[in-house]
Amino acid sequence: MESLRIGIVGAGAIAQRNAKEAAASGAAKIAGVFDLNHKVARDMAKALSAPFFPSYESLLASSDVEAVLLSVPHYLHKSMTIEAASRGKHVLVEKPMANTLDEAREMIACCEKNGVQLTVNYSFRYLPKIQKARQLIQEGAVGDITGIQIIAHQFKDRGYWSGARSNSPDDWRASKEKCGGGFLIMNVCHVIDYLYFVTGLKGARVYSEYATLGSPADVEDIISVSVRLSNGGIGSISASSIMRGADQAEERIWGTKGTIILDGEGLSLYSTRPIDGKRPGKMFRYAKFPNVSWTAEWVKGFTASVRQGTKPDISDREGWDNLAFISAAYQSMEKGRPMEVIPFPEHGMSRA
Amino acid sequence: MPDWLIKILLTVYTKIPPALRPTLKELFAKSTLRVESMAKRRQIVQGRRVEFLDFEIAHLLPYELLGPGPDEVLVEAECSLISPGTERAVLCGLPGARRSFPYVPGYSTAGKVVKKGGAVKGIEIGDRVTGRIKHASHETAVANKLFKVPSSVTAEEASFIELGIIVLQGIRKAAIRPGERVAIVGQGLIGQLSNRLARLLTPALIVAVAPSRNRERLAMLPGGVDRYLSLQEDPSCVYDIGADVVIEAVGTPQANITAMHCAREGGRVVLLGSSRGLTRDLDMWSAAQKKNLTVIGAHISDMPEKDASPQRWTYEQEGKLFLELLQTGRLKVADLITWRAKPEECNAVYEVLAEGGRDHVGVTFNWTIKE
Repeated sequence: MESLRIGIVGAGAIAQRNAKEAAASGAAKIAGVFDLNHKVARDMAKALSAPFFPSYESLLASSDVEAVLLSVPHYLHKSMTIEAASRGKHVLVEKPMANTLDEAREMIACCEKNGVQLTVNYSFRYLPKIQKARQLIQEGAVGDITGIQIIAHQFKDRGYWSGARSNSPDDWRASKEKCGGGFLIMNVCHVIDYLYFVTGLKGARVYSEYATLGSPADVEDIISVSVRLSNGGIGSISASSIMRGADQAEERIWGTKGTIILDGEGLSLYSTRPIDGKRPGKMFRYAKFPNVSWTAEWVKGFTASVRQGTKPDISDREGWDNLAFISAAYQSMEKGRPMEVIPFPEHGMSRA
Repeated sequence: MPDWLIKILLTVYTKIPPALRPTLKELFAKSTLRVESMAKRRQIVQGRRVEFLDFEIAHLLPYELLGPGPDEVLVEAECSLISPGTERAVLCGLPGARRSFPYVPGYSTAGKVVKKGGAVKGIEIGDRVTGRIKHASHETAVANKLFKVPSSVTAEEASFIELGIIVLQGIRKAAIRPGERVAIVGQGLIGQLSNRLARLLTPALIVAVAPSRNRERLAMLPGGVDRYLSLQEDPSCVYDIGADVVIEAVGTPQANITAMHCAREGGRVVLLGSSRGLTRDLDMWSAAQKKNLTVIGAHISDMPEKDASPQRWTYEQEGKLFLELLQTGRLKVADLITWRAKPEECNAVYEVLAEGGRDHVGVTFNWTIKE
């Protein structure tokens, strides 16, 4: 399969990682690098043996660039996607897809109109433990899913909010307008996505409470969400970026026949059924997983979909569903009532 | 084992981390079995058996047992029949059936004698036998508690032995006379066997009463009932039955009352199902007293060991009669089997049973299939 010639946009820490993994995937060739911080972009281009572009326009003008990988602040996702799509470039955009569903709608409509593919970087789906969890659920290890619980707590120091560890310090992460939200849209969005993937379920209705209690930011640093799932099950999220000294990262999926616990190292399974030849009624640990570059897998999948003209694994639909959940959670707190999660418009964005 | 030794062992056991206890328990059991094997000069036999590991979890596991004692035989199972009511009650922890886990279910199995103790008379190696044996590939049993299976009776049919005895002792107490109207409440396995054994006594009419029509087809097979009533369709249908004899084959307090409603004034109600569950607000006045009903308890645990009477035969007598009815073709049971499962499928089988059994009636494990 012919490699996808990708222009890297943004040269921050995540962009550097994305570019490196994309190049190593064997499915992509780095066709250029651009960042407002020219020095960082030049260094990155040199390291990747790729051309440096002084402006986004010049990168888009290059006929050698087939697609762009946007690792830029959230508020730029919409405009940069639309610019790229309008120039016939396929788009790989960092998560979240956008800050609002209106922005997402415009991005999807523009990509549809210009016949280019769009994918969002929810590549944690490719983690072997996530794939395994999905397989176990498809094999009936937990039966009908009745509950999901996400617990995500960590501590983000003051430097995080001003981009102290970034190549181009900027306080966009602290801005509701630029970032779209706080810990939920920035970090927990990954967990929401892969739990959608693992369970095949979506959030249908949410009620949330959030606040900013310990961070120099106008976005939330603590949030609690109650969820009615699409199958009638109940879920909850407890997340914050202000828990000192006791990080937590665990998801539980349980059903009529068992429970899966996902954590940093792997997953544990309790099933009443003899799954994988294991004795039922006992907790088993799956901890040995191959070391896989989830970003490389994401790029490989996207290249294949571009070359074959098929919908990417993580397409505009997945990006929308994730953002729709997050938007509903934020609106719930703002309006003080439960909110329905807006489903992906099946009949196209232009008519939505 | 002396009390002081048990005390010491318990003290040691409680100091062991809980995670290690199952392994140590297993090791202890294996060791004691080996000691017993040497002391009694009985070989250790390897088998597989169904175990309930916890609520609603069944699994097929390897296990070891001692070969037969002097008055015992070792039976290699061919077919075992699930007793749905009792086994489900234990599996789900229903009232009156609380057991500790792991628990080994089953009590109605047919197989072949592969070894016998020195004092066993009347049964030889190679004989086909049936009786109160668990769902296991191999099991030892006291020889004189087993029944020899006539050659024309299949292992599958013979595996109905315990259920057959349960129903026969109930039907006997019902004393059905030719021309009487009979109602059978509940159409699970016990109910369906009741249909057929009651039919042999030439009643004028047999009416089946069940919650839904799911089991109607089986109930209406030749040798079954004349009419089938669904309580879902018409809960009041019971009041018009006016049965001389009602056999209650469900095992719940509510079904007992339904059975009473099916009876005519002065009728007889036989409580055959093992009633589990507690209830309040039962109107015994209008259900039983006002109608002058005779309510007869009929549980297998109350069968006499000796001194049988016309209304109460011994376990041995009923078992022989049941096999004779099968041998002569007057009773058919194989068509009541709706699921012939491999023992390896036991997890799925009991999952279905725990959820209410769906439409299944007779479920057997075929132990002759080698994986």
